[in-house]
Amino acid sequence: MNGTAPIVRIVDDDASFLTAVARLLRASGFAVKTFASAAEFLARPELDIPGCVLVDLQMPGLSGLDLQEALAREGEPLPVIFLTGQGDIPTSVKAMRQGAEDFLTKRASKEALLEAVNRAIQRDARERTEHGRIKSLKDLFNTLRPREYEVLQHVVQGKLNKQIASNLGIHERTVKLHRTAIKTKLHVDSTAELTKLWLEFDGMQGS
Amino acid sequence: MHLVLIIWSMVASACLTLAAMHLLVWWKRRTAWANLLFSLAAIATAAMGGCEVWMMQAETPAQFATALRWIHVPIWVVIVALTGFVLIYLQAGRLWLAWIVITLRTCVLLLNFLVGQNLYFLELTNLRTIPFLGGTVSAPEGILNPILYTGLVSMVASWIFLADATRTVWRRGDRRQAMVVGGSCIFFALTSTIQGSLAIQQIINQPVMLSLFFMGIIAAMASEMARTTVQASQLSDDLSKNETWLDLTADSNDVGFWLWNFKTNLIWATERSRQLYGFSTDEQISFEAFLSRLHPDDRDWVIQASQKSLHEGADFRYDYRVVLPDGRLRWFRVLAKPFFGPSGASERMSGISIDITLQKQMEMELQQKRNELTHVCRVTTMGQLASTLAHELNQPLGAILRNAEAAELFLQNPSPDLDEVRAILADIRKDDQRAGKVIDRMRAMMKQRQAERSRLDLTFMTREVITLVKSDAEKRQVRLAVDIPLTLPPVHGDRVQLQQVLINLLLNALDALDSNHRVKPLVTVAAKTADAAVEIAVSDNGTGHLPHHHRGTRRAVVGGNQWSRRGNLHPLPADCEGR
Repeated sequence: MNGTAPIVRIVDDDASFLTAVARLLRASGFAVKTFASAAEFLARPELDIPGCVLVDLQMPGLSGLDLQEALAREGEPLPVIFLTGQGDIPTSVKAMRQGAEDFLTKRASKEALLEAVNRAIQRDARERTEHGRIKSLKDLFNTLRPREYEVLQHVVQGKLNKQIASNLGIHERTVKLHRTAIKTKLHVDSTAELTKLWLEFDGMQGS
Repeated sequence: MHLVLIIWSMVASACLTLAAMHLLVWWKRRTAWANLLFSLAAIATAAMGGCEVWMMQAETPAQFATALRWIHVPIWVVIVALTGFVLIYLQAGRLWLAWIVITLRTCVLLLNFLVGQNLYFLELTNLRTIPFLGGTVSAPEGILNPILYTGLVSMVASWIFLADATRTVWRRGDRRQAMVVGGSCIFFALTSTIQGSLAIQQIINQPVMLSLFFMGIIAAMASEMARTTVQASQLSDDLSKNETWLDLTADSNDVGFWLWNFKTNLIWATERSRQLYGFSTDEQISFEAFLSRLHPDDRDWVIQASQKSLHEGADFRYDYRVVLPDGRLRWFRVLAKPFFGPSGASERMSGISIDITLQKQMEMELQQKRNELTHVCRVTTMGQLASTLAHELNQPLGAILRNAEAAELFLQNPSPDLDEVRAILADIRKDDQRAGKVIDRMRAMMKQRQAERSRLDLTFMTREVITLVKSDAEKRQVRLAVDIPLTLPPVHGDRVQLQQVLINLLLNALDALDSNHRVKPLVTVAAKTADAAVEIAVSDNGTGHLPHHHRGTRRAVVGGNQWSRRGNLHPLPADCEGR
């Protein structure tokens, strides 16, 4: 997951154009993988490899928009850049609304193309990092037992042990034991650190 | 004695009654000459009866002779009237024969008064009494007049005239009329002559009874005239029925009836007509007042068309526009017929006006829809074509661009992979050819329709096109003037393409007039032969889209020989000079 080089996937039914774009991107220093159709790509999407998808909008069979929808269903969005022979407004609006990274004509300038690819890869990397952090935090908090989770809720609200004990109807000493267990499990040393970690986790879940 | 008086007075009174009736008819309608002639004949028959009674009751030979002399006056009247009746009422009989009959009878009448005591006797010597109808009557005895036979000759002439007239009526198909009028006239004329002659010459012991026989003729004539009266009343019934229908028609639809009297130059119009044209109930409508209601553009041609209709005696059927006093525009379909007097001069024109505004509006809306549709179709087709073209071309062009960019990057490398660059160049060539093929295919698609050359009648073809464009012109209130001679030589060409050229020229001309408000918009289509070609010129009086273009003429030159040599490479089958 980490450290894997991003790969630009190119999907186009036009073999000639596919080769040409692959050549340009390789020459520009990107790792490239080509697919002759959306179906071929969706058969082995290798979503854990970062990068982006460069896809022809109009293709026989599954279109570029179909591919984008299929990716969105997977829940692991890989940024999609659309390429089209001729762009029309309704299609581009739909594509952008579905979260397309960019929408370029096949004869767009090289700079525009490379910039779009770079931006997409960066966005993918950023999203992957974020996803990773959320996942690790979730794993961390999932190690807490239900009672410890309840105690944590009170702790982060700044309540004293005595108050927690009376609220939950348990002994004050038991509360102390729980607090220690929580700190150990979440790898924090102080209540302040605990609160900070909680706020990060809570914020990510909210967004 | 009694019975004679009763019978003869009955005959006389019957005759006089009929005479009075028909005299009244003639008095009311002075052109009814047949009624007058019938009356005269009936009166004369009554007089004849009077003379006969006079003779029967004569006490001296002189009295009898006088009565016998005077009886020839009513006989003359009856024969002349009968001859005239046959000529006028039956529309039969030869005019020259009629004149012979009348002349002969007039001669007989003159001889009757000039030679001897009367036509029959040089001298009446004695009266004898003969039994008749239970009483006694006087009968003559004396020296017979040698001119006696002239009377017979005149009667023979009458028979011939009547027989000839009857034959004409029979042949015409009016067999009943021939039998009743002609047949009975001949029969009674014949029998009366025989009876009269025999009685005078004392071959039979009877008094002269001409009036009884002539009463038969009068009865036949009367029955025929009565039949006509019955027919007339039936006709009047039918007419009133038709009138009711007409009234209903006029009420239910927007139909107005009118009559234009040329003598007074006034137009009589029904209430509905007046409403349709925006005239008040008691307003006098002159032809000028009517013209003032017409749309200014329609005035000239309506005047021309009505004059043409009067000149040729043809029906007037046209659609024109009327601008009501409140400014509303109505369309009328007018059907009218001119009527001519006996001298052949036009007397009046009667017609109906039907309000077809709604129909015209619908037609125009339909036309507009059709135009919009055509336009949309054209735009869509062009749009689709352009979109397909762009897509198809962008594939190879995009590939070429990306390959070229890649090659540039490769060559920036201090030790470039030349094999890769070569492969790139080969791909670029391949894509270039692909783009070329796309363009070829497009071109082939655009000229899919093959031109079909045939012999064309340009007059007919031009008229067809004008019919197509006419409603468009009407909608834009542009007048189309057409000057196409009927004798244009035939040319060879593709009808559809030529028509397209003409339509385009015409539509362009109409477009050029759109922004112009100062002059009455006019588009002229004229054709003429020029050398081995026909020139069709479409001109407009608009200002055009550019300030220095004052008037525009667009020409299509069509020449059979030129085309066949030119082959079919030219996309249009004619030379079109824009302005």
